[in-house]
Amino acid sequence: MSVGQADLATGLVAALGAGTVVESFGQHAAVVEPGDWERAARTARDELGCVLFDHLLVGDAGGPTACGECWDVVLHVVRMPVGGGPAAGLLLRTRLPFGAALPSLTDVWAGAAWPEREAAEMAGIDVAGHPDLRPLLLAVGAGLRPLRKDALLVARAVRPWPGHLEPGETADSAGSTGAGRRGATAPGLPPPGWGDA
Amino acid sequence: MSAALPRRAPDAVPDRARGTIALLEASCTACMICARECPDWCIHIESTTEQPARDDAGRSRTRARPVLQRFAIDFGQCLYCGICIEVCPFDALHWSTEYDYPGMDAAGVGAVAELVVERDVLGELVRGVRPPLP
Repeated sequence: MSVGQADLATGLVAALGAGTVVESFGQHAAVVEPGDWERAARTARDELGCVLFDHLLVGDAGGPTACGECWDVVLHVVRMPVGGGPAAGLLLRTRLPFGAALPSLTDVWAGAAWPEREAAEMAGIDVAGHPDLRPLLLAVGAGLRPLRKDALLVARAVRPWPGHLEPGETADSAGSTGAGRRGATAPGLPPPGWGDA
Repeated sequence: MSAALPRRAPDAVPDRARGTIALLEASCTACMICARECPDWCIHIESTTEQPARDDAGRSRTRARPVLQRFAIDFGQCLYCGICIEVCPFDALHWSTEYDYPGMDAAGVGAVAELVVERDVLGELVRGVRPPLP
């Protein structure tokens, strides 16, 4: 079975009359606008026969240079085998601007409720039309968004980073060589003075 | 009916096994790249600067070079991702198939007694490095 079958992706774009097919590492995905998200999902289930919901995930689409600007939302659903043929997977993607609401797919596949709850809790995405967005793991009102790139790794505030030494420095002589230079920093590091009362 | 597994089966360890990480000290330039790329901060490097009187060609204007003083990997924190091995520009770090932690005796006692492994032991782990794939 292919995760992103080419004929399913092109079939969905043709049936919708919107979107494009992109190929990456041999997998084909249908890319639609967020406004077509629910209609595309319904078309995939009703017209293409993708009745099995597999997975829905979100990730920061900006990369290292443009964090926190938009989300990549990926849906994977499966058309079950018909007449002895193999099962086939359909990848459906959309790009959601930060702050925009993601239409819920719970009316199409009830199983989408769980990953959408996860997206709402971990990434802070507003899922429109979801029946129950209670947090799965974090305490209510914790205010943490661990899947966001700007989430601070708090434990790093209390531990010295081993990489702050320059070549030629020991822990005792730290700072003696690179006078006046801006030191290297680690990702997820809280800014200096963070947490001081 | 179950039987006790033999505690050591060196022949059964595959060539690409990620047992521990070995340090080839002669190749290390203390450039700090591995320590900075490590996602969970488990590599600790300290070095001093040495100014040789003459360089290899006998010239007296020499460049200062870092000399490794301490190289330690905290295997209690290491997640065996292999990023340090990938980023090392001088191929000083290698996967070793040795999977017993230093400090462990033949009976398996003391396995977690000392998980911060210093450069002398990391150098011994080189004996478990298998040749690269053709």
